[in-house]
Order: sequence, then C-alpha cells, then structure tokens
Amino acid sequence: MSDLPPMTSVKRWLVTTNHKDVGILYITTALFFLLLGGAMALLFRVQLWEPGGLGILEPVQFNQAVSTHGLLMVFWFLSPIASGFANYLVPLQIGAKDLAFPRLNALSYWFYLFSGILFVLSFFQGQTYAGGWTLYAPLNVPMYTPAMDATAGNNAAILALTLFVMSITIGSVNFLTTIHRSRAEGLGLWNMPMFTWSWLLTAWMMLFAFAALLAALLLLSIDRLFLTEYFMTDQGSSLLWAHLFWFFGHPEVYIVFFPALGIMFETFQTFTGRRLVGRKWVIIAMVLVAVQSFLVWMHHMFLTTINLEIKTLYMATTIGISLPFDLMVFSLIYTMVKGRVRFTTPFLFSLGALVLFILGGITGVFLGAVVLDYEFRGTYWVVAHFHYVMVSGVTALVAGLYYWWPKITGKMYSEALGKLNFAVYFIGFNMLYFPMFLAWETPRRVFHYGESAQIYHQIATVGAFVLGLSFLIMFFTFAKSWISGPKAPDNPWEYSRTAEWAIPSPPPLENWDGRPSYASGRLEFVDDSPAATDGGVAHGQGNTAEASVEHEAEHADHASIWPFGIGVGTFVFFLGLSGLTPFVANFAEGTAEPPEGLVGFETQPDIMYPVLIALGMAIMGITLFQFGREKFDAPVMNIAERWPFGGIGNTKFGIWVFLASDVIVFGAAIGAYIFMRLHMGWMDWEFDPITMAGLVNTYILLTSSFTVIIALVMAERKNKSGLLGAMSATVLLALAFMGVKAFEYTQKMGDGHYWWYSIEYSIYYVTTGLHALHVILGVLVALFMIYRIISIDAYLEDHRPVEFFGLYWHFVDIVWVLLFPLFYLM
Amino acid sequence: MANLRTYTLIYILLVALATGKFVFFEFNFAYATAIGGTIVLAVTKILLIAGYYQHLIEEPRAISYMMATAVFMVFLLVIAAGYSIQ
Repeated sequence: MSDLPPMTSVKRWLVTTNHKDVGILYITTALFFLLLGGAMALLFRVQLWEPGGLGILEPVQFNQAVSTHGLLMVFWFLSPIASGFANYLVPLQIGAKDLAFPRLNALSYWFYLFSGILFVLSFFQGQTYAGGWTLYAPLNVPMYTPAMDATAGNNAAILALTLFVMSITIGSVNFLTTIHRSRAEGLGLWNMPMFTWSWLLTAWMMLFAFAALLAALLLLSIDRLFLTEYFMTDQGSSLLWAHLFWFFGHPEVYIVFFPALGIMFETFQTFTGRRLVGRKWVIIAMVLVAVQSFLVWMHHMFLTTINLEIKTLYMATTIGISLPFDLMVFSLIYTMVKGRVRFTTPFLFSLGALVLFILGGITGVFLGAVVLDYEFRGTYWVVAHFHYVMVSGVTALVAGLYYWWPKITGKMYSEALGKLNFAVYFIGFNMLYFPMFLAWETPRRVFHYGESAQIYHQIATVGAFVLGLSFLIMFFTFAKSWISGPKAPDNPWEYSRTAEWAIPSPPPLENWDGRPSYASGRLEFVDDSPAATDGGVAHGQGNTAEASVEHEAEHADHASIWPFGIGVGTFVFFLGLSGLTPFVANFAEGTAEPPEGLVGFETQPDIMYPVLIALGMAIMGITLFQFGREKFDAPVMNIAERWPFGGIGNTKFGIWVFLASDVIVFGAAIGAYIFMRLHMGWMDWEFDPITMAGLVNTYILLTSSFTVIIALVMAERKNKSGLLGAMSATVLLALAFMGVKAFEYTQKMGDGHYWWYSIEYSIYYVTTGLHALHVILGVLVALFMIYRIISIDAYLEDHRPVEFFGLYWHFVDIVWVLLFPLFYLM
Repeated sequence: MANLRTYTLIYILLVALATGKFVFFEFNFAYATAIGGTIVLAVTKILLIAGYYQHLIEEPRAISYMMATAVFMVFLLVIAAGYSIQ
C-alpha cells in the first residue's frame, strides 16, 4: 500500500508511516496523557488540602492516583512528547527523507498508544496499580500487600508498561540507525544540530536503560501472572528490584531531560542570535553525562542494606555527574550574555526551564550525599527536587511546542497569549513545587502530615490549579492559532539556522525537492538527476548501488496498515494476559505441590481473558505475516554521512543495535540469577539439574547454528534446495530442542518442582523459558522464510535476510552457551 | 564471508568446547577450577560464534565496540550489584 490519503482522512492517520505524521501523532497523544496525569495530580492535591486528607479519595484510591500520576507523566507523557519532536524534526535536521524503518516507526507509535489505552483500561479492571511509580518490591506483588491483589487491573498496568518499553526499544533502534546512517552529505557528527545531538544520546541511553527495565518488567509480570517468586522472597527481592529498576531509572532522568536540553540549546541560539558558547564542550559534556548516567544508580538505594563502601563510591560518582551539567548551564548563561536576547514565548519558556533546572539541580546534590540522604529520602524534599528537574524539562518542551508550532502547522500564534501562558505557568509551577521544600518533612505518598506544614500544602494545591490553568491557556493559544492564526513563513525566527527552517511551513511529504548537502560548508539542495549531474560522480560514503535519488523518491512508500494491525493484536493479547493469574492460581492449587502461603490471588477466573489471548495471537499472526509479505520501499539515502557505521547496511545495523539491547535484557535476567544466588550464598543454592538434557540441547543448538550458516552459504550459491534443506533442518533442530526442554520440564514437575516451588526453580524456569521463547520466535521467522523460499524463490538473488536471521539465531545460541553452565553445571 | 570448510571446523571446535565444559564438572576438578575453566571455554565459544558465524570480524569495528559496550553494561550491573551485598 503506497497511497497516502489526505490529512483530513481518518484513514491517513491509521496507515501513515511518514515521520512527520507519526511525530504529530506522538505529540498529540502525549498531550492527552499529560491531561490525564495532571487530572490525577489535581485529585490528590485536593486530598492533601488538610492533614489526614479531605476525604475525596479512599486511601487506596489516593495511592492509585499518586502512582498513576507518576507513571503517566514519566512514561506516557515526557518521553513520548520528546519522541514526537524527534520524529518530526530529526530527519529534517539531518537532511533525511524519513526514518530508516518507517513501518517500524509507525509500529512504535501504535505500541505506545495501545500501551496507554491498556493503562487507562486498568482503572476499570478491579483497580489499577497503587504501589508507587518506582514499583518497589515487595509492594509490586501481593504477597505482603494484600491491597495489591493480583487483579487484572494491577496486572494490566504492569503489562502496559512492558508494551510501552517495547515501543521505546523499537524506536531507539530506528533513531540510532537513522542518525548514524542517514545524515546529509557533509553533515559530520560535530556539526549536527543540538536537538539532534541530544536525541542521539537519548536514544543510546534508552537502548541500554530501557532494556534493563524490560527485563525487570518481564520478571515482575511473570511473578504476577505465573506465581514465580522473583519479588516475593523474604530475602533479596527488594534489592534485586531496586538494582534493576534504578539501573534504568537514573539514566531515565537524563533520557527525559536531554531532549528538553536540546530544545533549550536550539532556542537559546535562535533567540540570542548567537552560536552556543563552547558548543563542542557542551557536546562533550552531554556525552559524559550519558556515560556517567549508568554509574550513579545506587544513590537511590542509600537507605537499603547495600554496604557503606559502595554507597561512598556512588556518592562520589553522583557528585561527579553534576560537573558536566555545570558546564552546560554556564554555556547557556554565557550565550545570553554574548548575544542579543529576544524575549519571545519559546525563549521565555526555555529561560524559565534553565532557572528551574538550576534550583532542581542544586537541591538534588543534597540527595547525593549519603548522610543528608538518610534524612531526606522518602520525604517531600525528594518530591520537590525531582519535580523541579523533571518539570523544568516540561517547561523546555513547552518552549519546543511554541518554537516549532509555526513549522508544523504553518500558522503563527499570538505572542501576547504565549507570554500570558508563560507568566501563569511560571507562577503556578513555583507555587506548586517550592512550598514542598518547606514542607519537606511530609512523607511521600501519604496524606497524613504535621499541621505546621498545612499552609505549604494549601499553597501547593492552589499552585497546582494555577499550573493546570496555564495549560488550558496553552491549548487555547494553539487552538486560536490553528483556527484563525496568520500564515507562518518558512522561517519566522530571524536567526534559526537548522535545516527545517529552510523548507516550507508545513514541510512537504518528501521534505526536500533536491538532495540536501552540506559538502560546501552550508546547506544546499543538489539536483542528482542524470541531466543535472552532467556525467559527474556524486561524492559521499554511500556503499550501495548508485541509483538515481529521484527514482527512489518516486517509489518511496509512506503507508501501511499492518503496523496498526500488529498494535491491535498485541494490545488484545496483553489485555488477555492481564486476566491470566486466576487460571494459573487454580492450576497451581490443583497440583501435588501447591504454592504455600499464597496471598492476594483470590480474583475469580473470567473466560473472557483466555479468549482475548487467543484472539490477540490470531490477529498478531495474520498481521505479522502480512507485514512480512508487504512490499514496502523506504526512502534510501545512497549518499550520506555514516561515520562510524559505514560499510554495513541499514537493516543489518538495526539488527545489531537490537541485539545490543537484547544483551542487556538477557544479561539482566542472568544477572538476577547471579545476584539472588550470591545473596543466598553461592553453595546454598538448592537446584537439581538434569545435566544430560542440558548437554544434549547444547549439541542441538550448536548444530542448528551450523545449519543456519549452511543456509547462508546455499543462498549465496543460489542453491534453492540446499537453502530449503538447511532452513528446514534448523527448524527441526529447534523443535528437537523444545522437545528436550519439554521432557526436562515434565520431569521437574513430576518431582513436584514447579516454578513456584522456590526461588531457585522460579529463576530456572523463567530464564530458560525466556530463552525458549526466543527459540520459538526464531522458528516462526524461519517458517515464514521457508514459505517465501517455496513460494517466490526468495533469498536467492538477495541473500541478506538469511544472514539477518542468522545474526538473531546465533545470538540465541550464544545465550545458551551461558545458560548451560549456569543452570546445568554450576 | 568464510567458506564452508571454515564453518565446519568451527562447528567441530564448538562441540568440543561444549563437551569440555561438561568434562570440567563431571570429573574431579576443584569447583573453582571447573568454574574458571568453564568461563574460559564459554568466552572462547562466544567469540567464535560472534566472530565467524555472525561475521563480526568482517564488520566495522564500531559494531564490535557497541556489542562490547552492551556486555560491559551487564558486567557493570552484575558486579556492582553483587559487590553491594558483600
């Protein structure tokens, strides 16, 4: 499907894969979740009007409002709205026609939207999640908190977050491939616009950090759905969760803030009319922060039982990460000093963000000191600090909305209304969050507090409504502009220099008439048509055939319904999973070794959920199959800057990036095993493996790796029957592997060793099961490829898909290389 | 791309290395020795598979650095978390 309906058609928004459309979808959806998260905040701020609560919320409802506010704002608003900007602007800023994988980009969005819908539905399935946005163990499982009953709603919230993380992972792979491989000729990394720089580093952080969260959420979901014990043991579970969560959680702060920082850099440059002071050093500082962000996570765990040496080390790394930020702040201030400031609405919001971020940063340094953290942890000091940081990010994101609104819509907005918006926003923000510093002794997530703090809480509550009002003004300003605003020129800002301002507002579907190039040192549009090149040779680092760019533009596709279909199927499947627990609990109770002391699993089975699981799988099967069959030509850049990833195709690079993420997912799961075993005492681990089964499966999987590599050789030789035979052998070996696994599991269960039997068995079943799931997914792909070989003689002319499949399959083999000794020998 | 002969030799080597891990634990080696030996064999196997079956040695070095970064992240998480409870 390549025809893209007009923007006024609903169908357009269901089928589009164009990066600008997807960007608009992201931004509007994120703003909806901002309103929802904001409504939650207003609810509990009203409850906090007086000590002990005003009574508008029951205690568990208060917990739900607080938890869902945090989850919605951090996950469904902050990251996605930045993703919306990135979708719209990064390809424009780097001179690309679209993202590297447009259909995957659409799939990212649909996973995001449906994860949000699943989260909203969780309110209506018993109750939604109420254990705080950090999902600390053991609050995240029902064992010690019966109020956290494993209702479908509680499960759905966790599963929604899992689906959201899947969306982020796909998006990260796409952006990393795009930015590293689709930059216009002459656009080296140093010269990339600052917003794109901030997003590149964000994508790298997301790739690694969200993978750890994905692993944690998978383990948590399995605990809740299948009664395993990762987060239910009385020893080690809470530390395990904290390590996994904060390994993600601290980089997440910068994942959320970096795009905002990028917007600040862009707007400061534009509205001071000056290049960012110390630009190169600012980029180095951002890279340093991105690296350091993975070295500070244990400062969130100073009140746990981790040892003092590691606390001291992490105190030092935490103080260290503030230094690059100092450089960035001084750069922004000095850029203002050196330039001529024009106080437009986007600049005011950016300047406000800088002021608020400085306050948030300084108050955060207190929390990096172990001794002070002992006092401040779990109080409103933390709440105030991180809102000053995170919502200063929101402030810059609002600046971005105003800055790029004329480009996206082609309409100008009212500066007077915009400035009014800023004034109300800034007053509301500080009325809301500053009193929290003064009321710092108030415990978090509790509506009981000392009477002396009441005045501060009341000011904060009034501030919350003022801040809410500012967003209504913002929506009114944009609506008025949309309906009756004057037409925006290509570049309404005098000193903006990035490429998006060099084309019409809004930009055309294909972005550029010619090929953008910076080869001469400034942006030019090159006509690559044969008549225009006069027989000359185009220069660049392209490594594929020198096809005509115009030829590609004519055939580039922008529409596919299948990403939407896959999103629907996955949503239905996850919704079905949310109600699986009662069935598993009933099964467990009926076995010879039922779980002991099972608490919080009293929800009654509902047949609707298994039906939804089956339906979801069916929809996924059909849509994935059609997705695989569909002929879709993404825009390709034959001439592009690709350092340091030249000499490798887009798809192969994308697969490697995905595998890097999967290394973290498996690494975290295997790490959970090592951590729990260390915590228990390495030699006290009571698990009785069937070693021969592990050894046989090792031989089987190694042999399957060999058959996959033979398949590649056969494809290269254009030997159809050889290719077919090798792929079929791979599938048969995989089935043999699964057969041995089934035998092994049956033996274990025959001995009464189910996955709920002990933490040892939970980890054994889940880790090897996660690997088996990868094998099954590989088998499905292999079967599809066999179908394609038989039906259309696929891969004989272009053998690369066989190589891509091999990359995945060998990775699965590598994981088993580690699992075999860990679970069968040691 | 390597040829079929190289792939076959590597396969034989991989099977031998897998058997080696089993031998370490089935015969009377000290537990620490068995673990150490197994780690060496496992790392060798992983490098062989990644290097020759996934053709990492033929790809741009940056791909290897990226994968090494991912592995480093795992080591960082596991070692730091493990040390934190000692």
